[in-house]
Amino acid sequence: MMISFFKKDKISKLMENFIEAHDIVKRYDGHTALDHVSVDVPRGCIYGLLGPNGAGKTSLIRIINRITMPDEGTVTFGGRPLQADDVTRIGYMPEERGLYKKMKVGDQIVYLARLKGMSKGEAVMAMLEWLDRFGLAEWRDKKLETLSKGMQQKVQFIATVIHRPELLIFDEPFSGFDPVNADRLKVEILRLREQGSTILFSTHNMESVEEICEQITLINHSKAVLQGSVKAIRQQHKQNIIAVHVPDDVAIAPHDELYELLPPPQPASPATHIRLRKGVAIRDAITWLNDNYTLTGFSEVLPSMHEIFVNTVKEN
Amino acid sequence: MNKLWLIISREYMAMVGKKSFIIMTLLIPFLLVLIALVPVGIAYLNNSGSDIKTVAVIDNSGSYGNVIADSDLYHFVPLAGDESANPHEFYKNADGSIEAVVIIPADIDSVERVTVYSDGTLNVSLKNYINRCLSDTLTGKRIAAYGVPGLTEMVEQAQVDVDVRGVRWSDDGSEQETSTEIALVIGMILAMATYIFVLSYGAMIMNGVIEEKTNRIVEVIVSSCRPFQLMMGKIIGIGLVGLTQFAIWIVMLLLLGGIGSVMAAGSIDPGAAASMQQEIMQQTAVAGPQPDVDPSMMQSLMSGVLSIDFTTILIAFVFYFIGGYLLYASMFAGFGSAVDQASDASQFTTPIILIMVIALYAGMACVDNPNGPMAFWCSMIPFTSPIVMMVRLPYDVPTWELTLSIALLFATALLITWFAARIYRTGILLYGKKHSFRDLFRWMK
Repeated sequence: MMISFFKKDKISKLMENFIEAHDIVKRYDGHTALDHVSVDVPRGCIYGLLGPNGAGKTSLIRIINRITMPDEGTVTFGGRPLQADDVTRIGYMPEERGLYKKMKVGDQIVYLARLKGMSKGEAVMAMLEWLDRFGLAEWRDKKLETLSKGMQQKVQFIATVIHRPELLIFDEPFSGFDPVNADRLKVEILRLREQGSTILFSTHNMESVEEICEQITLINHSKAVLQGSVKAIRQQHKQNIIAVHVPDDVAIAPHDELYELLPPPQPASPATHIRLRKGVAIRDAITWLNDNYTLTGFSEVLPSMHEIFVNTVKEN
Repeated sequence: MNKLWLIISREYMAMVGKKSFIIMTLLIPFLLVLIALVPVGIAYLNNSGSDIKTVAVIDNSGSYGNVIADSDLYHFVPLAGDESANPHEFYKNADGSIEAVVIIPADIDSVERVTVYSDGTLNVSLKNYINRCLSDTLTGKRIAAYGVPGLTEMVEQAQVDVDVRGVRWSDDGSEQETSTEIALVIGMILAMATYIFVLSYGAMIMNGVIEEKTNRIVEVIVSSCRPFQLMMGKIIGIGLVGLTQFAIWIVMLLLLGGIGSVMAAGSIDPGAAASMQQEIMQQTAVAGPQPDVDPSMMQSLMSGVLSIDFTTILIAFVFYFIGGYLLYASMFAGFGSAVDQASDASQFTTPIILIMVIALYAGMACVDNPNGPMAFWCSMIPFTSPIVMMVRLPYDVPTWELTLSIALLFATALLITWFAARIYRTGILLYGKKHSFRDLFRWMK
């Protein structure tokens, strides 16, 4: 059975910002955790919040969750200021996972769902459905501490999404999941987005950013240093590098005017990486190469989010 | 409100559903009985289990040697001749078979002193026993020395123990007998109950807060409700657990009382009861010059119990209990939020426990003068009043004092709860650092 999360009027709301955190400042005991940070999350978007440890991601997430209040700035939720009741429309999975160890799995999920405003009957129904989905049905009456760590993570995930929140916030969702479960989680996140949820997550896992995030904000030293769609950011940071494929016994020589040769990429690839010299169009370089070598293929190399992350943080 | 209720019921069920709660609730009354019985048992062991010890007596007076008769614990043997000439040598050679050596001086009549030698410190029971034997005999001898016929009997009859009865006058002049002893017992029981309840359940709250914090579930919960709701839910939920426990104990007590009285009615036949009563009457008749002491004591006991205003005490008890619990529980919750593990909490809990112990001792001291200045002030200060006022309650505290004290207690409890909530909402989200009282004060702002 499909769970319909909420009315799908995506088309009309596509461009609307669901969450707007505007000019947020948060200070703790003399240090500034967030220094005039603004983040706009469009409705139905999967939004990544990146940044090194201690950059201020969790502080921002807590403010959007209304766990703490900003010292300056405003948060709007669906076009109006964030209110206390809005927490029932948010699902939050903190980085440090936590549930009551001595409480039974089913009771625990129902309790958390009811705290988010579901009625008891609704919560029980949804709990049964979700446990079934994750193959945990037989664990319903077991205490949480008897479950494996992977299963506990699934319970935490269920507790986060059970009340069909419009906004889902995951703090480092992939940490602690094994690859199989991390994939499962990705599938679930994409499915929730399909059903209309807006998803905001913080992560260090750059692969997952490339895979599923549409937009990101990179926070470093309490400031937003990079913002925008993943595609656009990768385009902006491209360094005119082209992977050129030639037969194995051929070696491409450097060219003084058109391109320079780059050291073989890591991990090893059959392609040769060249960087175009300033002002050279891709077409010119490829035409020249095609005339002089037997080209079997070529592609533009966009920097990985990992490289962009590391370089941006280092520059800062 | 709905969320608060959810949190309360979760806290309540989490505690009451535990096996340990059920076991402890059923076990504690028996443990208390056991603890009460331990001194009796030890005394029993002391008297019956040990061997009778031999004590040597060197009687230099020549007339008091046989006054110290054998008792359940001691066997006395007279020493004479060579052995008495060198008692130390004798004691050493006895190699432990002789407990002590009593030397009665020749002039005991005038010096009124005997000396007991042993290789250790003289123990109390032997000291008292020898004292009693010799003092009685010497007193008797002195009385006899006056040469007045029948003087011994006269002196015995002259020993008067005046019975002091407390009677309370109402405004209309009607009289009601009061019992100081019963008031004292009731007051101490109430004070102890409050003390134990507040400390043990306060610690439970603190552990709960620390557990939620180290589990990190707190972050999930406060993304659904306000931290204040979580804190109050815990305090109220656990408080209700405590009240449940009390209710169970009262039911157990009533059941036990019921069973006891049924069994007593069934097993003792009237004849035996009558003969027992007679025996008691005889004993009391022998013991004292007033043969009517037993019924009059029962009567005064009953009227003493009746004289106590249980309704007021109960109502006041409930108020102080709730106020005191709220006051201390919120402090425990606030302090619990500031630490990562229970072992770090002692820096904060020590002052609380100290205050409570002071309150308990103040309460005990107030027994002597339940309407004196110390009793008054300690039952006004909110941190001590829940305990001290319990001691004072059976001694008829003026209404204005009660009202003022309860008002002060609740005002302070609400204030402290407010401060604790401010500490709590900051503390629960701060991990990995040790916090001092100074940090806590800053969080209050």
